[in-house]
Amino acid sequence: MTLRNLGFAALAVLFLATALVPLSGNGYILSLFYISLLFTGLAYGWNIISGYAGYLSFGQITFFGIGAYFVAIGTTQFHAQWWLCALAGGVFCALLAVPMGYLMLRLQGAFFALGMLGLGQSLRIATDVIPYTGGAEGIYLPPGANAVVVYYWTFAILVLAILLTAWIDRSAFGLRLRALREDERAAGTLGVDTTSTKVRAFILSAIVPALLGGGYAWYLTYVEPSSIYSTEIELQTVAMAILGGMGTLWGPLVGGILMSQISEALSTKFPQTHLMIFGALIVVLLIALPRGIVPAVNDWLARRKSSAKARPQEAVT
Amino acid sequence: MQLGLVVQLVINGLLLGGVFALAALGLNVIFGVTRIVNLAHGQIIILTALTCATVFQRFNITPIEALPVALLGGAILGIVIERTLLQRLPEHAQSREWTSLLITFGVSYFLIGLSLAIFSGDFRSVAYLTDSWRLASVDFPKAQVLAFTLAILIAGVLGLFLRSTKVGRALRAASQNLDGARVCGIDISRMRTLSFALGCSIAAASGALLSMIYAYNPDTGSQFTLIAFSVVVLGGLGSYAGAIVGALLLGLAVSFVGFYGNTHLGSMMPYVVFILVLLFRPSGILGKPATT
Amino acid sequence: MSALLEIDGVSRSFGGLRALNDVSFSVGEGEIVCVIGPNGAGKTTLFNVISGVFPPSAGDVRFNGKSIVGMPTHRIAHAGIGRTYQIVRPFVRLTVLENVTVGALVHESSYSAARRKAAEVLDLVRLSHLADTQASSLTLTQRKRLEVARALAMRPKLLLLDEVMAGLNPTEVDAMCAFILDLRKIGISAVGGIEHLMRFVMNISDRIVVLDFGRKIAEGTPKEIATHPEVIAAYFGTPIET
Repeated sequence: MTLRNLGFAALAVLFLATALVPLSGNGYILSLFYISLLFTGLAYGWNIISGYAGYLSFGQITFFGIGAYFVAIGTTQFHAQWWLCALAGGVFCALLAVPMGYLMLRLQGAFFALGMLGLGQSLRIATDVIPYTGGAEGIYLPPGANAVVVYYWTFAILVLAILLTAWIDRSAFGLRLRALREDERAAGTLGVDTTSTKVRAFILSAIVPALLGGGYAWYLTYVEPSSIYSTEIELQTVAMAILGGMGTLWGPLVGGILMSQISEALSTKFPQTHLMIFGALIVVLLIALPRGIVPAVNDWLARRKSSAKARPQEAVT
Repeated sequence: MQLGLVVQLVINGLLLGGVFALAALGLNVIFGVTRIVNLAHGQIIILTALTCATVFQRFNITPIEALPVALLGGAILGIVIERTLLQRLPEHAQSREWTSLLITFGVSYFLIGLSLAIFSGDFRSVAYLTDSWRLASVDFPKAQVLAFTLAILIAGVLGLFLRSTKVGRALRAASQNLDGARVCGIDISRMRTLSFALGCSIAAASGALLSMIYAYNPDTGSQFTLIAFSVVVLGGLGSYAGAIVGALLLGLAVSFVGFYGNTHLGSMMPYVVFILVLLFRPSGILGKPATT
Repeated sequence: MSALLEIDGVSRSFGGLRALNDVSFSVGEGEIVCVIGPNGAGKTTLFNVISGVFPPSAGDVRFNGKSIVGMPTHRIAHAGIGRTYQIVRPFVRLTVLENVTVGALVHESSYSAARRKAAEVLDLVRLSHLADTQASSLTLTQRKRLEVARALAMRPKLLLLDEVMAGLNPTEVDAMCAFILDLRKIGISAVGGIEHLMRFVMNISDRIVVLDFGRKIAEGTPKEIATHPEVIAAYFGTPIET
């Protein structure tokens, strides 16, 4: 069995196991898997604008929050179906991402990162003054939330995000995106419409967290600014993508699985200091594996392949 | 709108701006030489402020007395960060930028976690010199005046250092033209470490001074990074005079908006300014642009 | 013969520095024109203006009769102007094939067609054996060929080559010379070049334009330029009075 087939088999098993978790009836396991799915999905969304487009954003939480509040306000004020509200949140964020992208993506590097960070922070503060948001006290969502439904919603979004990333990875759009990540000016003189390409990536990377945020609100049944526009969520998202490998198809998945386990272990063992350990972990990871696990593994496999080629008489059966 | 009120707001704004300036100068020094954006900058300010608040409460040591320690501690922190982490950065310019952003991002969360672990989530401040001088029916809060004076003093010393000493000039050379400086025999690696030491030292100092003006909790760190950044961008990247002017303007903006709007809008001002400047006047008041 | 590219009174200043000062010349279909001049003469600035990296402060640039000033770089690329950079700018983390495919996407409608076209171009520059290697692993010479290949894949009508000989040894220079002469055979109408290497310039150019301190000081055939007094003065200085 080749490594590739092994990988696919593992993926299939993972898919099935994840799909069947709710049937176990165990609320704790469900919530554990749900959180993993949520963060992995967020990592995929982040990966599009930061990994593939090369515009590091520290404010994707903005869209997550908007999605959550769409569901909170929609279900309480308008008595609409939560998933309709979540979809509306997704559409809104997609539309919002257009002018926002055109404006923000003119900023380079650190300025874009900080701009997005500030956006998330501002929205958190602004929630106090925007009507209907319940301010700092938040909103209690109507009862009747079913965790299993949210679980499958989140699972579906994650799968879609993975498929979307797979498409980006293999398409002309993705190639142009990666080209502009490497060298925006050269890409321009080679015919890439850098502005429109990166705005499109920005839109895609806004929809994913928006939809996931909608589900999150329904899951928690309570929203308030600091738990929704949470720095911890942003941090974990970024950490997962970095650990697994930014700009790769499977990076966020690998990072998501590993990081969830680490996070769970840390929160229980070191409830006071897990944020500190996380920060330290990100730093250590960046130094040890600057490009993440998936590229490191790919490099290792490539080296094995080339040394195997050089010694055909020792070929593995 | 009484004149007295306006004057009061102006005074408050300027006093606040003075300390903002100090925070921004620290960031400017680091960015100028290393082209690294220190996302942990605000957290260093907060950590120092929280430490000063606690130290004042426990041991009655005022932030002024703690200032030299803050300066030293900040410098050490800066050296540690630069030597252990940032020296391992890849040489390729773009990876360098991303990796350094992510590393300082990680460091900032480490510091947030550290602050939370040590100080818990409470807001703390230093209740020192809480009264004010009164001059012509305008209040001059003593703590603010003191902080402002010391901030200007430290900024002045920094300016002198950069202008008149050999090391200071080497630092400026490195920030203007890295290769040129190299060719002149300036040890770039040392300059990087020095700039980080200076930058973090000044950040710590501004934290000590700010502790007398505001209350803080561990989560407000990123706000200060943004404030420092807004000032740098407003004044123009690489311009020290611009940073001071920008800081004063921002201080005024926060003061006025905070009063006439509400405190929330006031605290959003740095971000608003940041975005507006970057989008409409990227070179700031006197500096080099930040966009493509 | 209508001019393919017309540079009409182009000036460009950066603050107080006048990098280009009222430069005018044209490149016709089927021509190879070399722009030469001492360092700092404004050659790369000229190329940047033509390819749309920044606009001229004054003057016009016309391609196929239409003004391209103010057009974004990617539209100028689509209009048919390709360029290479003096300091090569490969897409470092992309493979060699992917690098060239980006260029090919200008003209090909599908990704697979673009990849096929890219493979063909790689054959032309003899980089096929490195198709799946990351561009970061390439030597400078290979990177130069990649740079040219990328621009070629765009099927440009006009190719701007910026110091494409820099860093090449004499054998490689000769190969590149022959290669550029062949470009006309594969449908590239004209080539604009910037070069210091006089041997190459003299052999290859139909016409030469000489810049010095941002001004055009001479234009003509290689023979005319070689004996032009102002050109000689610009490169070698004026003779010392005895």
